[in-house]
Amino acid sequence: MQFLGARHSPETVQGSRHLAASLLLFVPLVFAGNEIGSILRYPDVGSAVLFVPYAVLTAALVVSRPRDWVWYILIDSIAHFVTHWPQWPMSWVLLATVANIARALAAAVLVARLCDGIPRFVGVRTLWCFVVGAVIVAPAIGASIGAANVVLHGASDDYWRPWRAWFTSNALTAFTMLPACMALFSYTAGLNRVRVERRRLVEGVLMTAALCATAFMLHEGFERANPAVTLFAALPILVWSALRFGAAGASGALTVITFAAIWSVDRGETSAAGPSEDQILALQFFVFFTAVPVLCLAAIAAGREAVVQLHRALLASLHDHVALLDARGVMFEANASWRRFAESSDAPLHRARTGDDYLAACRSSAERGDIMGTALFDGVTKVLSGAEQHVEIEYDDPEPGRHETYAIRIEPLERPDGGAVVTRANVTARRQAQLEIERHRGELSHLARVNVLGQLSGALAHDLNQPLAAILSNAQAAHKWLLRDPPNTEYLTEILQDIIDDDRRAAAMIHRLRSLLKRGDLRVERIDVADLMSGVLDLSRSELQARNIEPTSSIDPAAPALLGDKVQLQQVLLNLILNACDAMNDMEGPRRRLELSVASHDLRTVRLSVRDWGVGLPTDLIERLFEPFVTTKSDGLGLGLSISRTIIAAHGGRLWAENNPGGGATIHCVLPVADQPESAIAEPTSTLPDAVRH
Amino acid sequence: MSDHTSRSQIRVAIVDDDAGVRVGLRRLCEVFELGVSVYASGHEFLASLDHGCPHADCLLIDAHMPTMTGVELQHDLLSRGVQIPTIVFTGDDPDTVSAHHTGLSVVACLRKPVESDDLIAAIERAVGAVVSDPDGP
Repeated sequence: MQFLGARHSPETVQGSRHLAASLLLFVPLVFAGNEIGSILRYPDVGSAVLFVPYAVLTAALVVSRPRDWVWYILIDSIAHFVTHWPQWPMSWVLLATVANIARALAAAVLVARLCDGIPRFVGVRTLWCFVVGAVIVAPAIGASIGAANVVLHGASDDYWRPWRAWFTSNALTAFTMLPACMALFSYTAGLNRVRVERRRLVEGVLMTAALCATAFMLHEGFERANPAVTLFAALPILVWSALRFGAAGASGALTVITFAAIWSVDRGETSAAGPSEDQILALQFFVFFTAVPVLCLAAIAAGREAVVQLHRALLASLHDHVALLDARGVMFEANASWRRFAESSDAPLHRARTGDDYLAACRSSAERGDIMGTALFDGVTKVLSGAEQHVEIEYDDPEPGRHETYAIRIEPLERPDGGAVVTRANVTARRQAQLEIERHRGELSHLARVNVLGQLSGALAHDLNQPLAAILSNAQAAHKWLLRDPPNTEYLTEILQDIIDDDRRAAAMIHRLRSLLKRGDLRVERIDVADLMSGVLDLSRSELQARNIEPTSSIDPAAPALLGDKVQLQQVLLNLILNACDAMNDMEGPRRRLELSVASHDLRTVRLSVRDWGVGLPTDLIERLFEPFVTTKSDGLGLGLSISRTIIAAHGGRLWAENNPGGGATIHCVLPVADQPESAIAEPTSTLPDAVRH
Repeated sequence: MSDHTSRSQIRVAIVDDDAGVRVGLRRLCEVFELGVSVYASGHEFLASLDHGCPHADCLLIDAHMPTMTGVELQHDLLSRGVQIPTIVFTGDDPDTVSAHHTGLSVVACLRKPVESDDLIAAIERAVGAVVSDPDGP
């Protein structure tokens, strides 16, 4: 039996206490069921109109562990014998018992397998699986054995007549009673303990009363009215049970109505032979076809209820504050987080709750001059009108003492009636992390800049030494001249003027270095590209001389001004120049050239290029070169280009590398110009090579 | 280019690409009544050679110059068979710089900015004569 139990969900595993409780329920039900089954049966084929033990045994098997099944099967067999033996021959009862057991086992295994455990009838799919297993396949198995039994004992010459009688009887039993029986056994076994609300209990009692009244009416009505018409009277109560109490409730109600109908037919028939076979068949079909829509309705209603519950649970589980607005901007639902926040806050915009006109609250806040109110009113209006699909506003808590940052997202509510979803999240941690990242990035960029200047230090020291050397020589010469009698004041004045000029030259250099070395915040200003380039060339000239590299520059005089941080752009260019120098370390004299160029790229951008005649770049590294820690140098860290690309990206530009056809490599940098022409349509990246479009 | 040489005077030639440094050094040398000629580059100095003979007893050069460095100039002079005592100025460590000039006629390697006393002492060593200080004791 292990393979049968394998698919059983853990919820069917119960202790012996639960087995005892289930058996206590099972014994009376199965004995009573056998008795009821014998009340109305087909006159000659020995099959009951409604065979209760099938539903009771199957339900008990579905709910219990496979190793307990033997108890239920044993008790069911005993009950069957007690009811039918010795009226019927031993062999007849024995084979009928085999048919019963085979049918119940097939139903239990199929239902558990197809429905993945005890069927809950939430949605039509479970109902369909249940019907295939318990209403079609299992009754067919039972009918095949049962009909053979009838034919074997000579009660009928025809095999298919008893087969049809057995099948319809059992299918009807499963359809009407099995869901209710399974619920009953689940409850007894302690698998389905739900807290019943008072209102629901009252409704249950009311429905039961109405059901009893209907059953009574049905019972009495059969004598006087058309039985079919009387059966229709039960429809409202069946629909009520389906909508409010699920498949189990509907199945219970169907069971009561069916019993009432069977008894009425039985009682209404005056002939000694009992009701005719056609009459029974008609009744069975009528109940069957009533049960189909009722159970479908129950499954759909349960599915819908599950969706609603899921939606509520989902909203409640969200940490973010969520409010749903209708098309007018009135809040019709808010989750627990939203409500809690509304209760704890004093800001009028935060206090809005279900039923309030959120849009009006935003408007009045905006009219009081609150910037947030204006932004929210605009955002909600745009989303509600469909002008925007997504609005996001980040703001600091207006209440004094609260240092929190929130992000509000407004998105359309995708449904025919329209509306919007407002989601508010506390993004303080994210914001702080962003600030921290920016701070680290700034520090890293500063370190890289210091590193670049470190590489230039020898050349810069030489540059700084030149005016200092001139000053010292001049001053010492002047000192000597002063000792002469008479001092040549004219000559001394000339010397002093040179000293002043050289001192200013040194001071200007120190100032330029200081601005590059200091750790400063991003300062965006208008930058003349030619100035930028020549400043960088001045800084690197000595280094280039020391390395015997000849710089040439072609600067388009019409190149428009840029908008950016001068220090950072200088850093990038210095880095590119030093890289170019390194690439030419092993080159011989005439090839040691470096070309800087500035050209208007298109109306919106300027292109700055640094070209060398060095060894060129390995093709597989051309794009990866801008990733951190990727370098072609043996002593490089591989951060310079990565930081350079970050800086250029922060300026809204792009940085990429390519090998020159004539040898060496060029690094291009495209930066947006300060005055963007409004008519320009060209995308800044439209003429970039494929390698940089990402 | 200025030339104040006389038969008895010690003559120095200054080669430096920085105009400010050139002027300062020239003035300092002139105070000590040395004959001074100044050149902005090694090429300029080479062009001034008269049938391979320099108009100077001592050469003062900057180690770092574009187009032709101090070492290159000395190699060039060596290849022309011109021997002239040389004093090299550098912003770097003088010891490492003088190592580059091994085997050349370098008398002294001085760090910039250069003190007048050091400069005069180096010139005296280079020419093997005493520079008279007109204002000295």
